[in-house]
Amino acid sequence: MKDRVRLCSRCFSLTEDDPCAICTDERRDATLLCVVAEAKDIFALERTAAYRGRYHVLGGLISPMDGIGPAQLRVKELIERITREEPKEVIVATNPNAEGEATALYLSRLIGPSGVPVTRLAYGLPIGGDLDYADEITLAKALEGRRIL
Amino acid sequence: MILTRLTLANVRNYASLEFAPAPGLNVLIGANAQGKSNLLEAIGLLGTGKSFRTSRESEIVTTGLPTASVAGEAVVKPGPIRLSCTIALGAGGTRKRYTINGRGVRYATYLGKLRVVTFVPAHLQLVTGPPALRRALVNAALAQESAAYYAALASYGKHLAQKNALLRGLVAADEALLTTYNERLIESGTELILARRAFVTELEARASAIHHAWVGDVEGDLELLYAANVAVEVPTHDGVASAFAARLDEQRAAELVRKTSLVGPHRDDVEFRLGGRPLAAFGSQGQQRTAVLALKVAEYETLFAYGGEAPILLLDDVLSELDGERRAAFLRGVATVEQVFVTTTSEVDARAAATYRIEAAQLERVA
Ligand SMILES: [Zn+2]
Repeated sequence: MKDRVRLCSRCFSLTEDDPCAICTDERRDATLLCVVAEAKDIFALERTAAYRGRYHVLGGLISPMDGIGPAQLRVKELIERITREEPKEVIVATNPNAEGEATALYLSRLIGPSGVPVTRLAYGLPIGGDLDYADEITLAKALEGRRIL
Repeated sequence: MILTRLTLANVRNYASLEFAPAPGLNVLIGANAQGKSNLLEAIGLLGTGKSFRTSRESEIVTTGLPTASVAGEAVVKPGPIRLSCTIALGAGGTRKRYTINGRGVRYATYLGKLRVVTFVPAHLQLVTGPPALRRALVNAALAQESAAYYAALASYGKHLAQKNALLRGLVAADEALLTTYNERLIESGTELILARRAFVTELEARASAIHHAWVGDVEGDLELLYAANVAVEVPTHDGVASAFAARLDEQRAAELVRKTSLVGPHRDDVEFRLGGRPLAAFGSQGQQRTAVLALKVAEYETLFAYGGEAPILLLDDVLSELDGERRAAFLRGVATVEQVFVTTTSEVDARAAATYRIEAAQLERVA
């Protein structure tokens, strides 16, 4: 059963080969880890060609109203990866809405004790807008101007 | 601000309507259930994107149809403007779209372009009714006035709902997540508290002067007190934020036990006092009503002063609730109104710029 789309066991992106092409690409910067809500956000960021690090897909955003807490997302896996891979920076690229904001700040609180700096995209993005609707230039600028949480 | 044209499509009992209101006082006369309040609701919807009658927006769409729309042209200080608000029914609930001069915009951009002050019979309970009624008045005024206030209010509401869901146990208890929500609430809540404090101070000065002009010294001064849930001792951003944080810490255990948020501006109130005594407990119904009228005129004046131009005034079935003297006093109080819409079941003894009769969603100008 080749060519079946599955989840990458490292970053949880969608892939045909496990680990995925991004996780196994030696030319990519292993010291940068970008956390996104969904696999589709990776495609938005890849389009900018401004990011050369690796990714981690949470599988959604924290929203207790919808029954989604940290335990429903790949938060534990993220913390384990950070411990194992020791990146120099974790970039949280969640959407600039209330859930995206709370998720980013929650992660920063969790990652804080490890000493790894956590940054967030500088949003010139429209508030309430989605990453995958943002044009490449806006998104690249948001990435470039990311700030420490 | 003057609304010069209003176009409705599938709004409640209006299949379609073209209405060219006059500057000044527009009187809409009609029997019950003919559509006069629906028309006023539509003007409110055009201005604020919200109904003053219902939170179930699907009710606004004519039964059996997929969308309702309100469009209008107005003259505001920067110049003429075209606005529209469309409500579409969908599987996941209603969806609203807004345009300014034909271009789609977000609600935060739309809100405040055509400002309205609404006076409905429910407001007559402002003194004695639940705190939510008084908070709604303050929020409606400030959200129209300030985009920053609206943003803070929206953010606060979202994080509060999530925090409450966490406290209710919809997801596993998580101290770090609770702290995250509390920090978000402090950030937006501090803005709300400071803006409300300034607004109520402004409102009080005006309401008190209006009240004094109406009834003189005999009953003592009318006071409005901002009863903030997080007491403001140092009225600076840092002062309020640290007081809020301290109260959240203090009540953290209690919130976990009670499974709900106990601290913050969602529990604010505004208290009326007359001659130093709480008006809700000690005032006569007449005194309470006069205080409400003074407050509504003060709200109008404050929005006028904040925005630098007269908001549109909507009076839905409220004049008939007032005796002749109070009605006359109120109408004198809002004499500077550039445009006001009044619904009534019978003639109004005021100098109307235009009078319309509404029957079965048909509008006919009669004077
Ligand atoms: Zn991968």
